[in-house]
Amino acid sequence: PPETRGAARARTRSGPAPVTDVAKLCVCDLLVAQCDVNCCCDPDCSAADFSLFTTCSVPIVTGDSHLCSQKAAIYSLDVEANPPERIFKLIDQVNPSVFCIHATNYKQALSFNSPEMPTPENFDQLLKQFGSASFSAEPDSWRMNTDAQSPSDANETYRYEYGVPIQTADAFLRLPSPVVSSWCSDANPAGFLVNQATKCTRSVSVEKCGNIQAASMLFYINSSILAVPKSSQMVNITVQSIVVQSLNGMRTLLNGSDLLRLPMILDELCINIVLGVSYHITYTDAGEIIEAAASFVLGAINKEALSIQQSFEISFTQVNTKPVPLSGNPGYVVGLPLRAGFRPPGYPFPVEILFAALVLNTNKYSQLTILQSTSNQDCLAAQGARTPVLFGYNMISGCKLRITAAMKCHPLTQTLLDLLKGQSFPEYVASFGNSQAQDVLDWVPITHLHTSEQRIYNTFQSSCQIPVSLEIEVKWTKYGSLVNPQARIVNVTATITTTTAKQLPSGRERTIPITSSVVFTDISSPAEPGYKAWPTINAKLPFDFFFPFV
Amino acid sequence: LSSVPLQFLFYVNGIYYIFYFVATLAMIIYKSQVFSYPDDFLAPDLALLFIMAILEVLRLYLGSMGNLTEEEAPLGLSLVITVGSVILSVYFLVWQTYILKADVIINAVLLFTYGLESVLKVIAIAAFV
Repeated sequence: PPETRGAARARTRSGPAPVTDVAKLCVCDLLVAQCDVNCCCDPDCSAADFSLFTTCSVPIVTGDSHLCSQKAAIYSLDVEANPPERIFKLIDQVNPSVFCIHATNYKQALSFNSPEMPTPENFDQLLKQFGSASFSAEPDSWRMNTDAQSPSDANETYRYEYGVPIQTADAFLRLPSPVVSSWCSDANPAGFLVNQATKCTRSVSVEKCGNIQAASMLFYINSSILAVPKSSQMVNITVQSIVVQSLNGMRTLLNGSDLLRLPMILDELCINIVLGVSYHITYTDAGEIIEAAASFVLGAINKEALSIQQSFEISFTQVNTKPVPLSGNPGYVVGLPLRAGFRPPGYPFPVEILFAALVLNTNKYSQLTILQSTSNQDCLAAQGARTPVLFGYNMISGCKLRITAAMKCHPLTQTLLDLLKGQSFPEYVASFGNSQAQDVLDWVPITHLHTSEQRIYNTFQSSCQIPVSLEIEVKWTKYGSLVNPQARIVNVTATITTTTAKQLPSGRERTIPITSSVVFTDISSPAEPGYKAWPTINAKLPFDFFFPFV
Repeated sequence: LSSVPLQFLFYVNGIYYIFYFVATLAMIIYKSQVFSYPDDFLAPDLALLFIMAILEVLRLYLGSMGNLTEEEAPLGLSLVITVGSVILSVYFLVWQTYILKADVIINAVLLFTYGLESVLKVIAIAAFV
């Protein structure tokens, strides 16, 4: 009959009845029908087993200790007796506190809730309540709240935040990068304000010249960027410049770089393959992208090439600012170039008037640079090769100069000075890595010294003094807190050492070495930890304490 | 003549009731933090405590006035309200959600005071009539 079946089903559905008798509760009884070691409350243990125990792992089983009086079962081992036997005592434990529970009219207060058994009727409700990652007491009202929020969000203005992927019309602005191996993966989105530079390898071949999407310019500029997330305002990617790299590595900048150059086959070479893309995104401080430009490096591959290495870069500039790369914030970071500049001509030097901005050289090679040694060590042939001075890296470089009899003194001196100092040797060096051009006091002037190589000074100065070495000594100190000291440049001295060049007889020639070096010296004074002064007891009598005697 | 012991008892009752009210409220807050005290059980307990406070003020005022002006009507009304206060005190002694030992002690003292007061009120009414 269905009624008994239903009743039986209901009976089997309820969980086991909770055990509340302390005499029958045993937490250490884990093995069924076997004696657990050191478990004095185990009913499966006999007296012989008890005599082998050393301690009782469960000495007391009590009810809720908040109650004023509760039953407690105490188990202990009597080790004095021979053989040791277990003692079982059932006592009433009294809670002496005045805030013990005398009685309660709330049945569930003293035990845990038995969970509801799922039945076909309440299954859906239980699933809604407990089925997700967190239990919800009121599942329906929660869902209604989130629905109410999303239409109001649509009226808010969105903007890009740091790290948010830049959205395009169909997906995200891609910056291919190597994942796991060095092969390019096109799924890396570019993050807003995250300057990235990646290099990866792509497999190409001349046969598939026109078919490789990722090697053509169109792939990188055909999607337009959304100015703000989830909007319909688009920003097209313009082509800023195209550099063509020939097979032997020589790069030439193309004029009139508006044309789109697609890969095509020419003389058994596949030309106009994208070897590098550099995105420049201009943004406003409201988190909106207003301009996007891409510079390309196109190259060519021949029949033997199986893969090319592509390099990608993205940089962000705020609108109406000129980006100046910082060499540290605030102290110089080892390995970053020294920032240097000139005071522009025409500005007077009085102390009160605000100094005009120093002309900052953003071009790498106009900063403080020294001569770069080349493979052929001829000074005159290597004109123009300079390397920037990096903070913390002592450098020395040089070349050999061949002097012939035909060379005149003064032009030679001038050439050597140009060689050693470079075309635009700066006048000031920034003392901090993030010094602004407006704060002239943050800039250290370069001191120039001249020394002569010969110890004995010739009274006859008719012979030629030619500069043979330039030594730049940068003195820096640690500035700031003990735990995070910042490097600060205090002094920059450029020492030019000259030597006499004796007039050579005609036909003879001489080779003299020319050196230039940069040395960084740490002149920080040892740090002194500063402690707070001991507090003093300020015990002073009031002003008129001795009135009227004083 | 007004009953001096009754007036004294009213005075003591007033002071004791202030202590009783603050203690019971504090203990209800303690119970709600330490034990599981659902809202459907907490609301009646708090409501009855505040009703008891109002009744107590009314009762003491009427009783004191009746005793001092030697009128039996306010004293009788006060006696009737005392019955209500007794029932509420018994609630807090027996039918509350959690009854702590401290609850038992202060409610027992309150009931004893009520009993003594009722006896003295009956005697005073008999004297005034």
